[in-house]
Amino acid sequence: MATTFSASVSMQATSLATPSRISFQKPALVRTNLSFNPRRSIPTRLSVSCAAKPETVAKVSEIVKKQLSLKEDQKVVAETKFADLGADSLDTVEIVMGLEEAFDIEMAEEKAQKIATVEQAAELIEELVGLKK
Amino acid sequence: MRTSVMSQMQRSFSIDLPSLIPLQLPSRRETHLWYILPDEVKSTSLLKRYSQFLSPIEKDRVDQMRGDELKKNALLARTLVRTTIARYQTNKAVDPGSLMFKKNMYGKPEVDWQNCKNYNVQPLHFNISHTDSLIACGVTVHAPVGIDVEDKERKIKHDVLAFAKRFYTTDEVNFLATILDPEAQRKEFIKLWTLKEAYVKALGKGFSAAPFNTFTIQSKPGTEGGYSLCKTSEVTANPLEKTEECNGRWKFDLLELAGSHYAAVCTEDDQADEGAFSVDTEGSIGFSGLFITSFSFLQELL
Repeated sequence: MATTFSASVSMQATSLATPSRISFQKPALVRTNLSFNPRRSIPTRLSVSCAAKPETVAKVSEIVKKQLSLKEDQKVVAETKFADLGADSLDTVEIVMGLEEAFDIEMAEEKAQKIATVEQAAELIEELVGLKK
Repeated sequence: MRTSVMSQMQRSFSIDLPSLIPLQLPSRRETHLWYILPDEVKSTSLLKRYSQFLSPIEKDRVDQMRGDELKKNALLARTLVRTTIARYQTNKAVDPGSLMFKKNMYGKPEVDWQNCKNYNVQPLHFNISHTDSLIACGVTVHAPVGIDVEDKERKIKHDVLAFAKRFYTTDEVNFLATILDPEAQRKEFIKLWTLKEAYVKALGKGFSAAPFNTFTIQSKPGTEGGYSLCKTSEVTANPLEKTEECNGRWKFDLLELAGSHYAAVCTEDDQADEGAFSVDTEGSIGFSGLFITSFSFLQELL
């Protein structure tokens, strides 16, 4: 995970393998500009936007664009939802197959079905690639 | 199970709230299938009127779609659902915009009758499906329904058999493998896809409740266009032994719409009467009644 936490944040350490996600108001790397009041109760779940590497996100976007026959200038970024691009269930499954081929992984159907955005796909891919090693 | 495909051309002269042609609810063993071809809806003022029916959340959803065509289709899908359901009400003054929806615990949309103003509660079930070029809404009473539509010509970017091996059951792969002509094979693959999707949607418990490789849908020998569902159960002492449970509880229909799309309809039949599962060959694909072309009501005549 690309985030670092200050020592005063007490929370469950999460490994790549767990599906729990942490997000803050500001995306990406967490630095000291995280406004955090230790006296306030710490939420039990925080979520982080886009823990996946930009290269993975880019590759996923490329595969999605190809599957959906999108124009080159169509913006596809981490937050992009497949449904917003007009992907139906058959497209989503084909995207999953394309991703499996490109990254040489296998996605369990239940997990694959839950992927709704580019970054979710990228994160799942990195998780599976990580497990392979 | 009988499926009626309905559509009509209707000219409306009203300026404010359009008048909806009322409908009778389907009978217990019947599914009504309404569909619309987005390409036939060209009037921007008509689309503007349609957007009046949508809830704020639905409008946001439409706005999120990337591109004008996708936005239009999302708008038409909501319009089709709302106006179709409204038409089954006996109160003709009912406003499609006042329909409220909720989701079951697995995310399947349903009508939230408690919160609809002026609507009589009905044992009505619906399900929608859309592709770029066709949007369909199926309606039943007393039984859950699942609909899936696909363009007949839809190209699969992967090898069809590889795709099937990855996601379908062994029996289905074997069936597809016997079809030598790639075009015919692709078509059968698509038909199977729509049937399997329709089942999962009818079940309404999300994909994890019925992964595609746990059930086989096959044509029923001796029926024209009949299909049956067989579940592969892995719960046996011997992992190599798979028991198959084929029952008549789920009914399927596969139709061709507008000459361009396959539409699969799946409903639950609690009476499971095998004899009644017939496909009426009157008309291009059996159903009782008003069949036709595309559903475009509210065509303005200005």
